Amino acid sequence: MSIGTMGVAAKSINAAAKSKSLVGEAHEVNRAIELIKLGARLQVLESEIDLSRGRLLRLYKEVAGVSPSKGMLPFSTDWFMTWQPNIHSSLFFNLHANVIKAAGTDRVDALIRTYRLYQEQLALCALPEVLSITRAWRLIKFFEVGMLDSARCTRCGGRFVVHKYEPVGNFVCGLCEPPARAGKTRQALDERNLSVSVHANA
Amino acid sequence: MATEQLLSEIREANLSYLVLVQSLVRQDRAEAVVRLGLSEEMADILSSLTMAQILRIASSAVPICRFRFDDRVVWELLADESAQGPMRSIHASIVMASQPVEVIQ
Repeated sequence: MSIGTMGVAAKSINAAAKSKSLVGEAHEVNRAIELIKLGARLQVLESEIDLSRGRLLRLYKEVAGVSPSKGMLPFSTDWFMTWQPNIHSSLFFNLHANVIKAAGTDRVDALIRTYRLYQEQLALCALPEVLSITRAWRLIKFFEVGMLDSARCTRCGGRFVVHKYEPVGNFVCGLCEPPARAGKTRQALDERNLSVSVHANA
Repeated sequence: MATEQLLSEIREANLSYLVLVQSLVRQDRAEAVVRLGLSEEMADILSSLTMAQILRIASSAVPICRFRFDDRVVWELLADESAQGPMRSIHASIVMASQPVEVIQ
């Protein structure tokens, strides 16, 4: 390809970029910034935001202050089934369903709104955010492609995230019937020991 | 005298609820609908009320809002004060968020 034709090609790409409305682009930039601030990985932005990869990358560095982490996103549905993640995912899923019903909003908007509500809820309970926004986005994707489903707990009536085609005839959630080792992670134990030693010192 | 006091307390509760709903809906309709558990229709009706209408409605002798959850599980979870505290409130939030919103019949 001669230099001349390359120049023409570059020009036509520029023209295409310019034909996009400035207001629309500003809107996309704003949404991208919000997602980055909430901790979204670059892959989420690439899939949801209508901006070039180069611009998203620059935006990411500017807003987050660091280069985006490399590597693939986790892609298994199993994470959402383990005890604590399942509780957080189920909370997010229910909030999301309500947001969608109320706002009928687009995907990104609903994701951001729901994630804020989720954060608010956890802050109230002083619990850590187990579900990152990237995981939350994956969760919604898994529902969209039919890999995950929800089931009503026969005891408390809450809806919980389950695998699609899982038999849920007499489903009982992990909160009504916590598994024996639930919540007994090393971290939880450390915290308990710490509070015991603090009491002992006092 | 006691009745008068009761009525004025009902009025006050009605008024603060209506004012809260209006300001939430006007700020961000979608969020208000989720937070308050209202149907869209209810949100529209309530947000379109004028101040005069709000005052008139508030001063009726009946409380205009009622409990959103008439489910024993929710109340037990919310009232519980055991060591499982934070997990209990998450549980309550899940059960509450799983319930359908109020609709006009």
